[in-house]
Amino acid sequence: MSVFGDLFYGLSVAATPQNLLVAVVGLVLGTVIGVLPGLGGTNGVALLLPLTFKLSPTAAIILLSSVYWGAVYGGAITSILFNIPGEPWSVATTFDGHPLAKQGKAGLALTAAFTSSFIGALVSIILFTFFAPPLAELALKFGPPENFAVLLMAFATFTGLGGANPWKTLFMTFLGLLLSTVGFDVVSGMPRMHFGLASLQSGINFVVIAIGLFGLGEIFLTVEEGLRIEGVKARISFRDIWETWSLFPRYVWSIVRGTILGFWIGVLPGTGATPASFMAYGLAKQFSRHPERFGKGEVEGVVAPETAAHAAGIGALLPMVTLGIPGSPTAAVMLAGFFIWGLNPGPLLFKEQREFVWGLIGSMYLANVIGVMLVLTLVPAFASINRIPFAILAPLIVVLSSIGAYAANNQVLDLWIMLGAGVAGYVFKKLGYPLAPLVVALVLGDMTEQAMRQALIMGHGSPAIFFTRPISAAFMAASLVLFLLPLIRLIWTKLRPKRPEAVPVEVA
Amino acid sequence: MRRAEAVVAGLLLLGAGVMLRQALKLPIGWTETGPGSGFFPFWLSVGVLLSGAVILVQSLRQLTAQEGAGADVPFLERRSVKPLLAVLLPIVGIVALIDYLGIYLGGFLYLAGYMRFVGRFRWPAILLVSTSIPLVLFFIFERWFLLPMPKGVLLETLLYGGR
Repeated sequence: MSVFGDLFYGLSVAATPQNLLVAVVGLVLGTVIGVLPGLGGTNGVALLLPLTFKLSPTAAIILLSSVYWGAVYGGAITSILFNIPGEPWSVATTFDGHPLAKQGKAGLALTAAFTSSFIGALVSIILFTFFAPPLAELALKFGPPENFAVLLMAFATFTGLGGANPWKTLFMTFLGLLLSTVGFDVVSGMPRMHFGLASLQSGINFVVIAIGLFGLGEIFLTVEEGLRIEGVKARISFRDIWETWSLFPRYVWSIVRGTILGFWIGVLPGTGATPASFMAYGLAKQFSRHPERFGKGEVEGVVAPETAAHAAGIGALLPMVTLGIPGSPTAAVMLAGFFIWGLNPGPLLFKEQREFVWGLIGSMYLANVIGVMLVLTLVPAFASINRIPFAILAPLIVVLSSIGAYAANNQVLDLWIMLGAGVAGYVFKKLGYPLAPLVVALVLGDMTEQAMRQALIMGHGSPAIFFTRPISAAFMAASLVLFLLPLIRLIWTKLRPKRPEAVPVEVA
Repeated sequence: MRRAEAVVAGLLLLGAGVMLRQALKLPIGWTETGPGSGFFPFWLSVGVLLSGAVILVQSLRQLTAQEGAGADVPFLERRSVKPLLAVLLPIVGIVALIDYLGIYLGGFLYLAGYMRFVGRFRWPAILLVSTSIPLVLFFIFERWFLLPMPKGVLLETLLYGGR
């Protein structure tokens, strides 16, 4: 069947009253999560995961993905009005968004953010719709060696393009994989690495770790920094919308760059919306005719990072759906949901779970249209959420995190693991250990081990099998380059004569 | 900050050593069913140890290179300690007593205490918020979604008559 037939089928799945309702609930919740500081998209999705046990897999993925889109829109609201990034990917939006709000142009800045976010999303979804099926088709031909090589490339991208200290990235990747071996052996089913604790025999639950690292860790950081909220009031009038939209043709190139960059960065595992938004901001500034206006309230400085952030959010789901490899921590949490709902992530999904896959794709179109209308009309309501005092918010998020962590497995030990992960997340973040590789490696650990061991059995114990099969060899070569990229960069900068740096773009 | 960097790297290495010991209890070589169950954990532990060692060396070098420069920011400002402990300690206490308190009563105490001592709210507001949130959560999780949470001795007896 053609892509269009599948797409119409997906839209019809997403448009059923129940799924539409789920999408709207997800969008509202997601926007609230995006607005609240200390409660991020990754953690929000993890906290909602136990509530999806009772839903059909299709409704569940629509709920979680809608939360993600909502969080992307919501992050922009606090960045612009309060100068507090509700999400890490909206930090770049504060640079010009808040100055605009202070000049009394909050409506303009918000409309620009939502509109560009929407355009970035829509174009990426179209790219997604046409890229996903052939990619899944290709992935169906993969055997264990190819699977392992692709997974290795995912880990290599973290090291090569993650931007953090490569040794710390490597360390976190190894640690995540190592933690995934706790519990039982995926191949023989024998218990192992459980330190004699019965509760550990079922393994370390990924959701518990994610809630600790991203939920509690973030709360600790917010508490330490102390939160002060000085807001600008805002309402979006039709005139604001009209005026902003009439400006948009000027930003075509920023939008095109932001979308392509964002989608591509999102697809690469190990990166995500946050670096995409910073890079798009940097590019927009470099290409601008008035770079001096950036940081003082340039609309293009809002448009570029917002486009890229939302495009990356969509892109991150592409490898998740087609290969079973999440492109971002949030996607990793969703992938953990696949196992809970009894689905096997990977290329077979397209063949066996047509309703699920195309329902998700269809809902991306609908949810983003609904989402942009929702935020444009309800900005004052969402902005007022930030009046909730932090002294209520902090303990509330901690209690919700505990419930979410307990619900994952119904055991008290998980609460301790969550607390431990929370403290660790706080320390790691302060010392620049990247969290994303740990989380993604933890969720991919079983798959990686299985692929590696099966491949070695196929090759009678010789690792040569990874290099003699063409597809696998290509991925292995790419992985090698990515792993060595930090070293290559180091040598490059040492050899090159010293020149003043071009505008440095910090990649978080 | 630099000292914290080195201390954390050292602690992480220690943890990796513990994992390595666990892995060594398993067959790490080739068995009749292919690589043994300890193969993957063993090599990963080695990877963790090696990369951790590099981080430790890096941090020690920084520590000695700029000792006395005095430009380092402390890992934790003195004034941040109290607010941090105010969030962390109560939840640790509640988790320790979870069999008695349960998550709902515990949540109520946590919210009420935090609002009182950190937020300096007045009692009516405290009572309203700290009772309504656990109640709403109770109905969502126990009744609506049928996800059993630890309820503690008191609530268990109240609901199910000490069965």
